[in-house]
Amino acid sequence: MKDFELTRQSETVNELLARYGVKFGIYKNHEFKEQLFPFDTIPRVIEKEEFAYLEKGLKQRVMALNCFIRDIYGEKKIIKDKVVPEEFVYISSGYLAACDGVVPPKGIYTHIAGIDLVQGKNKEWYVLEDNLRVPSGASYPMIAREICRRSSPDTFESNCIEDNRYYTKLLRWMMDYVNTGGHTVILTPGRYNAAYFEHSYFAEKTGAHLATGSELTVENDYLYFVDYSGKKEKVGAVYRRISDEYLDPMTFNEESVIGIPNIYDVYRKGHVALINAPGNGVADDKGIYYFVPKMISYYLGEDAILQNAPTYLPFYEEDRKYVLEHFDELVLKDVAEAGGYGVVFANKMTAQEKEDFLNLLKKEPRRFIAQEVIDFMDIDILEDGVRKPRKADLRAFVLMADEPMVWKSGLTRFSRNPDSFIVNSSQGGGFKDTWVLSR
Amino acid sequence: MKNLRFHYHMEISFSEPVHSHIYTLKCLPVTTGTQLIQECNYAVRPTDRIQESYDSFGNRMLYGTAEEEHTLFQVDVTGRAVTGICDADAPGEKTDISVYKYQTVLTKPQGRIGKLLADCRKQEGSMQLSLDEKARFYMQTVHERLEYGKGITTIHTTAEEALALGRGVCQDYAHVMLSLCREDRIPARYVVGMLMGEGESHAWVEIYDGMTWRGYDPTNDLVVNDSYIKISHGRDYSDCSINRGVFTGQAKQCQSILAEVSEE
Repeated sequence: MKDFELTRQSETVNELLARYGVKFGIYKNHEFKEQLFPFDTIPRVIEKEEFAYLEKGLKQRVMALNCFIRDIYGEKKIIKDKVVPEEFVYISSGYLAACDGVVPPKGIYTHIAGIDLVQGKNKEWYVLEDNLRVPSGASYPMIAREICRRSSPDTFESNCIEDNRYYTKLLRWMMDYVNTGGHTVILTPGRYNAAYFEHSYFAEKTGAHLATGSELTVENDYLYFVDYSGKKEKVGAVYRRISDEYLDPMTFNEESVIGIPNIYDVYRKGHVALINAPGNGVADDKGIYYFVPKMISYYLGEDAILQNAPTYLPFYEEDRKYVLEHFDELVLKDVAEAGGYGVVFANKMTAQEKEDFLNLLKKEPRRFIAQEVIDFMDIDILEDGVRKPRKADLRAFVLMADEPMVWKSGLTRFSRNPDSFIVNSSQGGGFKDTWVLSR
Repeated sequence: MKNLRFHYHMEISFSEPVHSHIYTLKCLPVTTGTQLIQECNYAVRPTDRIQESYDSFGNRMLYGTAEEEHTLFQVDVTGRAVTGICDADAPGEKTDISVYKYQTVLTKPQGRIGKLLADCRKQEGSMQLSLDEKARFYMQTVHERLEYGKGITTIHTTAEEALALGRGVCQDYAHVMLSLCREDRIPARYVVGMLMGEGESHAWVEIYDGMTWRGYDPTNDLVVNDSYIKISHGRDYSDCSINRGVFTGQAKQCQSILAEVSEE
C-alpha cells in the first residue's frame, strides 16, 4: 500500500480522538486510570470477496451459538446427545441457573457478538474467541473513521471503502426488533466504566436514553425510566452495559448497587428485552469454544466455515497427553479469565513456573485450554513515522435480529510491543480502522 | 400422612426509618410429590405493590416495594398442608437434575470434605449400600461431625469452613452433606422449610434416587417425614434466601423468624 495523506495526519487524528474522549479506563491496584486508546492511521484492508467469506462464516457461527444457548436453557438436547459434556456447561461461570426455562423476547440471546479473529501467515482466518456477554469496541473505529474522514477526505473518495456509519442503524433496528413495547435505554454503570465513551456515543447515535440503574425502576412487573421531573415512562428494551452478576441484586449479586432490583423478574415475564440476554456467557466460555464447530454441525447441519485455532482440552485424556508432550509449543488459557489475563505461553515460562503449572493442570484439567500458537500475519503500524510490523487481531461485530447481520468494518487491535501476541486494550494495545472494500 | 396448619412469621426491624424498600421473598410452600398445599395466604406489611412469580428452580416468589418510611417490615404466611403423601406425578416438579450434581461456591470441597468422604468410604468398605442407606450414612456422619451452635457461622460460611469449625446451624449441616453427596456423584439439593412445633425455619437436604427426591435432615439425623413442610429448594443456601432486600436509609436491621406448625 502506498503512503497516503491520512498517515501523515496521525498526530492530528490522535489529538482529536483525545479531545472527543476516546479513552478506556482500567482499574489497577484499586485505582481507576483513564488511558488514551492509541490509534494507528494505517488501516487494515479486507478485500470484498474475503469479507464476504468472513461474513458467511460469522453469521453461521453466531446462529449456532444462539441455538446452543436456547438449547442449554431449554431442552438441553446437545447434552443429552453427548455432543457437549454436561460438566462444561454447569461448571462454566457464564452458566446461570436463574436463566433456566426463561425465553427472551424473540428467542434471541446473542444480540451483539464480538468475534475475535486472527489471520495466520497462511492467510487463513481463525476464530480466537467469541465475546457474547458485553462485547465492546465498535464505537472506536466509528469515531476514528469520522475524524479520519475529516482530516483526509480525499482518502475516502479515492478508495472504495464500505461506509461504517450504519452500525448504529443496525443497533437501533435490532433493539427495536426485540423491544417489548416502550422506550429503549442504554444502561451504563457510569462514567468510571472502562467503556463509558462507547455507552454515551451509542446513546447519542441511536437516540436511546443513556441511564444508570438509579434512573430505572420496577413497578407492577414493568420497567420504567424515571426522568428528571419524576415522570415515569415504560421501557421495552435495555442495552445493558453491565455484566449479568450486577444486573439485579435480587437475583444475582446481592451487593450490586449499579443494577436494578427485580429487573430480572420483569424480563422473566417477557416484559422487557435485555441486550444481551443474561446467561449467554455460557457460550463464550473458553472451554465451550472448543465445541463451537461441533455446534454448527449439530444445530445447522453444516460444516464450520470459520476454523477455530487448534485447541486441546486437557479434560480429555487424549488431549491431555498431547498437551504434555507438546507443552512448549502451546499457549495456555485459564477459562475463567478475560481481557488477555490468564494467558501464558509455555515457552516463556521458567522451569519452576512450568512445574507449578503442570501440577495445577493435572489437578484442575477443566480449568485450562491449550492452543497452538498461530503465527499471525503482521500488520504495519507507524511508529515515529516509520512502518513497523506488529501482531493484530480483528473483532468483528455480528448483530442478531430476525437474522444475523455482520457489520462491514470491525475493530483491529494491535500489540505495540513487537514481541507480544496480546492485543487487548487493557494490556496497552492500540487500534486501527478496518476497511472493507466495496469493489 | 398428617394434616398440618402452619403460620410463618418473618419480621425485620430497622433501627432508623427506611424507605423505597424493595424486597424479594421465597417463603411460600408449594405442592410437591410429598406435600399438598391446600391453602396458603400471605400478608406483607407495609407494601405498595406486590407481584408473584416462580424462579428457575420452581420456587414461588413474592416481590414488591414499600415506598413509605417504616421501621418494621412483616411477612405472614398461613395455610394448611397435607404431608407425607406419595404422588410421583407431582405438578411443577422439574425433571432436570443436572444442575444439582455440581458443587457451588458454598459447597465446594477442599481437603477436609475430601478426607471425610475417604473416611466414609473406608467405613463402607465392601458393604453394598443402597442409595438410601448411603444417604443415611452421610447424614449420620455429618450429624456426628458437627455440633449445633448458633452465632459461630454466617450465611457466607462454606461447607469446608463449617467442617473445620466443627460447629454450625442447620444450614451448615446441609452444606456439608450436600458437598459429600455431590463429591460422591449423588445429585443433591438444599431445602428450606418448617418443622412441627415452634421455631425458626429449617434447612435440610434432598437427594435424587433416580426416580424421586428424598429428604434427609442431618441436623436432627432424621429422614424427612410428614412432620416437615418444604418451602423452597436450590443448589445451596443462596438460591433459597427467604428474604432479599434493598432500601434507602442508614439503619441497622434485625431479622427474626417464627414458624408454627401444628396438627389440625
